[in-house]
Amino acid sequence: MRITVDDDLRRSRLTVFFRLLLAIPHLVWLAAWTVLALVAAVLNWFAVLVTTRSPRPLHRFLTAYVRYSTHVAAFVGLAANPFPGFVGDDARYPVRLDLPEREPQRRVLTFFKLALVIPSLLLAGIFGGDAFSYGGIAGVASFLAWFAALATGRMPGGLRNLLVWCIGYSAQLSAYLFSLTDRYPTSDPNQSVREPPPEHPVRLQLDDDGRRSRLTVFFRVLLAIPHLVWLSFWGYAIWLAAFIGWIAALAIGRLPDPLHRFSAAYVSYQGQVYAYLFLIANPFPGFVAEPYPLFVTIDPPVRQSRLLTFFRLLLALPALLIATLLTYVLIVISFLGWFASLATGRMPLGLRNAGAAAIRYLSQTYAYVLLLTPRYPHSTPAVAEPVAGEPARAEPHLPPAEPEAAV
Amino acid sequence: MLWVGAAYALWGTRVPRGLDLPSIDLSGKIDQDVVARSERYESFFGFEFIASQLVLLAVLLAYARWGIRFARESAAGRIGTGMLLGMIGLALVWLSQVPFRLVEVWWDRRYDQTDSGYVETLFANWFQLGAEFLFICFALMVVMAIAGRFPRRWWLAAAPVFVALGALFSFIYPYLSTTEPLRRPELQAAARDYAKEQGMEPVPIVVEDVTDFTSAPNAYAAGLGPSKRVTFWNTMLDGRFGDDEVKVVLAHELGHLSRHHIQEGIGWYALFAWPGAWVIALATRRRGGMANPAAVPLSLLVVVGLNLLSLPVYNAISRHMEQEADWVALETTRDPDAAAGLFTNFTVESLDDPDPPAWSHVLFDSHPSVEERIGMAEAWRGRSR
Repeated sequence: MRITVDDDLRRSRLTVFFRLLLAIPHLVWLAAWTVLALVAAVLNWFAVLVTTRSPRPLHRFLTAYVRYSTHVAAFVGLAANPFPGFVGDDARYPVRLDLPEREPQRRVLTFFKLALVIPSLLLAGIFGGDAFSYGGIAGVASFLAWFAALATGRMPGGLRNLLVWCIGYSAQLSAYLFSLTDRYPTSDPNQSVREPPPEHPVRLQLDDDGRRSRLTVFFRVLLAIPHLVWLSFWGYAIWLAAFIGWIAALAIGRLPDPLHRFSAAYVSYQGQVYAYLFLIANPFPGFVAEPYPLFVTIDPPVRQSRLLTFFRLLLALPALLIATLLTYVLIVISFLGWFASLATGRMPLGLRNAGAAAIRYLSQTYAYVLLLTPRYPHSTPAVAEPVAGEPARAEPHLPPAEPEAAV
Repeated sequence: MLWVGAAYALWGTRVPRGLDLPSIDLSGKIDQDVVARSERYESFFGFEFIASQLVLLAVLLAYARWGIRFARESAAGRIGTGMLLGMIGLALVWLSQVPFRLVEVWWDRRYDQTDSGYVETLFANWFQLGAEFLFICFALMVVMAIAGRFPRRWWLAAAPVFVALGALFSFIYPYLSTTEPLRRPELQAAARDYAKEQGMEPVPIVVEDVTDFTSAPNAYAAGLGPSKRVTFWNTMLDGRFGDDEVKVVLAHELGHLSRHHIQEGIGWYALFAWPGAWVIALATRRRGGMANPAAVPLSLLVVVGLNLLSLPVYNAISRHMEQEADWVALETTRDPDAAAGLFTNFTVESLDDPDPPAWSHVLFDSHPSVEERIGMAEAWRGRSR
């Protein structure tokens, strides 16, 4: 299952301004359709239990419903510009959802579907990409995008990709819940967002084989305590350094090298601590940003606009808002991943990659706040990014990106 | 010689030299059914303790042998890896003791000594475990940093650091629990009088609510300098003990403070810290010494082994201090009847075995037995006539 977007990012200011009002007929129609879809989903569940396959009419009906609700979510959240049709016709809308054909499903998984779906519901609650329960990350991204689109007539690419990730996850969840497939929803951003983010001075490199030590997973929070204590001490010093750096950057137009090194080491170390605490990586990290499977690299200092430096904290507020929500994603991921890792000795790839994407964004946000870079955090949910002049570090355990795939 | 001299000075007591404790017949004071019940209750803990320590040693033995494998889980440097191995060791210790904690709760519930649930027991001390993880990290950081610089003599420098840490912990300990001021004017007045009688400034008397995890009565003195205080568990003040008996407890706890038992405890700790650290240094030498993370699992085994071996000595010192606090309480309250009533009541309420077997008394008891304590009250009565 895959979501693709064929969108040039241009937005009509008028329809953006009135987007929620324009969506009203769709929301009414979707509500009516939802009632029928719920009945159909129950029938479909029984049918799959008995025959292992979804009956053709029910499958067609529910597929159309999931597509339609995805279109509505994309329209409401500004992930797409055109007013959607009312029948879930993918061919006529820039947001396309490739749903699985009728396929045999496992009875046991179908029978326990309502219980099995709980972890996914938790994650979907934070993503908030469902047309009816719009909120969470999708809600915040849309809120921010609304202002940006009104001001510039364009949707920021990062926010659009973030929205697509959230909406795509909700679509997967619906398909799973309605027994269109027995494949569990994956939160792996690589599965929904194929467009690599642009080069950024703050990059994340991930080299993790997914294996986890059950013992250290069980005690992970406790094992992370010395790092959290050290991080908090370092954090106090960082804010002092940031203030001094802010004054210096206003005076000389760039962050002095020693302060840059000090803050960059902090951001890198913080990424490692988060990776360890939230089960995105396995080994116990060092205390001074030593080499680690999840490594945040930051380019050397560059000249920065004094005006943007002066207003840095204010400008960072939208990014901090998203970063806060991504922290909740990390918490939910680690909660779910804790059970999965204890049971299987491996961190599910989807959760691991979603967590890595969250840490990448958090690192870029902190780097921006701490004046390590003038580049705004890019919210495309990517696990790793290309480095100028060199290929992106290999991620041997991730599916290869498809450069031609449009988002 | 210095060590012996210091130990002799610390052993000093207000209890008269050669005090002869009369033999006490408890049959007239405590119902024999209660005595039999308390014997059954307490004897279980002796065997349970032995079993738990055997399991603990077995786990740590295995960890000392194979624990270094967990170094693969670390991307940290020498000290960071040592910290991880220390924490994993503690985690294994905790896991190995879980069944025993559950059995203890089962036994306590059987004898109406607690209302705690099993799940609650499992999750109740995670905060404490976190603090222990933090402590072991700090301890290993100190030891491994010093051992990196002085591979063979680190123990000379590390011991004072731990003594200082012990003193710091003694100072902050009273602030770690949630308490409320004692709202019993007559007890507050008695506390002021007793403090004056014992030659010390009044200290705060506070109450800690422990009903969530036990119904056993208790009180303790803690703190150094401005943090000194006496804490009553609320189970001590729920009406099961008379005012006179509570006052004996109050005088006893103030006795600990007036006789500087907290400071003496730190002194004893200092006396054992040096030889203990030396033994650890010696035992871990073949693993490359404490500068090497590979030595950490073995050092945990040595620490636990030393603790076990020193348990009878620790309990002897503790009983010695408790005896002195009892004597000071008798001199302060001049009420041996209340003291005898209090100790008798402990058997009824806490199921303290009044006359435990000698081996159990030597190994496990940090307080004199009920029989000894009543005997001391009678001895004081005899001397005061």
